[in-house]
Amino acid sequence: MSEHATSRITAELSRRRFLQGTTLVGFGAFLAACSGGSSPSPTGAASPAPGDTTPPSTGPQEPTGPLNFANWDAYIDVEDDGVTSPTLVEFTETYGVEVNYANAQIEDNAGFVATIRPQLQAGVDTGWDLIVLTDWMAAKIVEAGWAEKIDEANIPDAVANLRDELKGLPWDPNQEYHYPWQSGATGIGYNSVSTGRELTKVADLFDPAFATKVTLLNEVRDTLSLIHRMLQAQGLASDNPSEELTVEDAQAVVDYVLPFVDSGHIRAFTGNEYLADFGTGTTWAAIVWSGDLASSAGPDDVFVYPEEGSNIWTDNMLIPKGAKNKYTAELMINWVYDVERAARLANWIYYISPVNGVADAITELDPEAGDNPLLFPPADVVANQHPLPNWSEADESAILDLFSTLTGE
Amino acid sequence: MRRPRWLIPWLLMAPGLLWLLAFFVLPNIQMVAMSLSSGTIGTGFQLTWDFDNYVGAFGRFPDNFRNSLVYGGLATLLTFLIGYPLAYGIAVRGGRYKNLLLFLVIAPFFTSFLIRVISWRIILGDNGPIIAVVRDALSLVPANFSIINTPLAVVSGLTYQFLPFMVLPLYVSLEKIDHRLIEAARDLYAGPWRRGGLVVGGAGGAALVGVLLFALGYADPSLDGLVGSLPAMVVGGLAGAAIGSLLVSESFVRVTFPLSLPGVFAGSILVFIPSIGDFVNAELLGNPKTQMVGNVIQGRFLQQNDYPTAAALSFILMAAILVAIAIYARVLGTEELTGGRA
Repeated sequence: MSEHATSRITAELSRRRFLQGTTLVGFGAFLAACSGGSSPSPTGAASPAPGDTTPPSTGPQEPTGPLNFANWDAYIDVEDDGVTSPTLVEFTETYGVEVNYANAQIEDNAGFVATIRPQLQAGVDTGWDLIVLTDWMAAKIVEAGWAEKIDEANIPDAVANLRDELKGLPWDPNQEYHYPWQSGATGIGYNSVSTGRELTKVADLFDPAFATKVTLLNEVRDTLSLIHRMLQAQGLASDNPSEELTVEDAQAVVDYVLPFVDSGHIRAFTGNEYLADFGTGTTWAAIVWSGDLASSAGPDDVFVYPEEGSNIWTDNMLIPKGAKNKYTAELMINWVYDVERAARLANWIYYISPVNGVADAITELDPEAGDNPLLFPPADVVANQHPLPNWSEADESAILDLFSTLTGE
Repeated sequence: MRRPRWLIPWLLMAPGLLWLLAFFVLPNIQMVAMSLSSGTIGTGFQLTWDFDNYVGAFGRFPDNFRNSLVYGGLATLLTFLIGYPLAYGIAVRGGRYKNLLLFLVIAPFFTSFLIRVISWRIILGDNGPIIAVVRDALSLVPANFSIINTPLAVVSGLTYQFLPFMVLPLYVSLEKIDHRLIEAARDLYAGPWRRGGLVVGGAGGAALVGVLLFALGYADPSLDGLVGSLPAMVVGGLAGAAIGSLLVSESFVRVTFPLSLPGVFAGSILVFIPSIGDFVNAELLGNPKTQMVGNVIQGRFLQQNDYPTAAALSFILMAAILVAIAIYARVLGTEELTGGRA
């Protein structure tokens, strides 16, 4: 990367630090996310403007576009207008291809996949070229044969820079179908001014002082396994590790939480929308994903790795079967595996980068970032991190049914 | 050459009929089949005439059905109460600003639906402007009072979203009323609606406050709850009586209102149907206890891949709406809708 680009990054960093002082940033990003999310057609009847599509070339491959990229909220670097992303703008400048980045298009794994499942089953284009799904869902997509095989020749940086710990997963041992986007943890977030004290464990969410000010995640795996570990710590639940959470364990969690839902102590089950609720003071404490509050909420909104342990997961880039711009999607995968770009990205969104060498690169950008527990979880935290549950189809539908008694759906 | 005259209406209707066939009849047949199927998303769904789907769907989600009916009904009632004076004002007193005023009614629709709902999250939030007035400035409510994530927020959201659907049909029917009929009524000694307005307005005001308190969960459905809500109902009754006796004239009651009934009918159906099936407001403004049938259908389709239950719920909802409208048409039936045998 050129000198010029590096100095630009530093400038952006200081701007962002300034922005963190305002609580409305999260809301602004959220609004931008919502408006952005509706622009590309997710129905599979993707209709790029005339002239946008270049026919697949037979010789050396040409990038085609626009690249339709669906991602979660608070998961990309943005400048202070809340929309422009240096990573994506530079990609467009380099390859001459527009990126249709649908921020917050994915609010939960199941909900998003349900919108593209019919196209995948029918074997037609889903309208997306690159999607980001959590391990368990990515595994399902790959096992169903719904992901395009990634051409290694097009992603030299990704092949060279992927961290060893993330390689060799049972569902894609040779990295043929997926490359991680970011890893992160599920833990506790709270507004330190509203709560008036430090929160350290999951059990703090059930403190009567915070009645009606608590939200949980509507991602069933995150919420159930985190509360299950809280019950374990209190001696109220089985010793099953999170990845083997059973229907009975889920029942125990539901039995524990239901009275808190009935009394209104738990006010809602949310996706990334909790960002807006922290901004308005509606939510004081919640189960949240590790990087979101640091990147997109106010200065008093804090994330903690709870004492009972946290969930660790990885969100993965996949190219859905039938994608129109597969080569461009591969270019994008490679693009974000460049060490300096990955460092910049991680330092904006505060999640754990899958790219080797980010630790050194990030310290150059921002000396403090090297010690940030969100980017580089300390050893004692890592020792108490647990993968998300992996269920059989029958167990999953039983547990989803149980969970729906909590969410009222 | 003789023209096949009987063919012409069918040819004219063909595009519409084909549209309905392709996008209404066929999907509904598929949905009936799905609602009677069993299986899982992994193994596929087979038509097994499994009527238990309906029993299960109805037995498991009574609260969601109740929420839908209550919130949809309240939204219809409130849009009527807010929309009627608005439509009347525009139609009768709008003068040369009529078009501008109508445009203002529709103007919010230029913003995305989702953005408007999410904005309400901020407006109704615990540190938002409304709470700041009623809680902090006026001390009318206790410190832990919330609007967001309550039934009040859901009903407010629905009322706001669907208000134009009520105002526009009301405006159309009010606007075309012949003003000479009202002058004639005045000539025939139609004056202020004093005694009738006192009684009807008073009863209506008290009933409205009572319904709102109970339906939105601010009063327990018990004798204590009734006693507790009496003061508020008295205030509502007094306000209603004042409006009925001072502001409403007999010519309005005997001429204008009956002539505007087709608009009332059309508006309330246009509001009731989408609001009873809505899920966005309950999802974003409500809490786990305020989820409506639409939320269950959404969850079953998108989260749990339980298509048969979702399809069965959709059908029950459709049937419930048809029954509700049939009853409504009987009670308030206008000539246009019941065949015009008058």
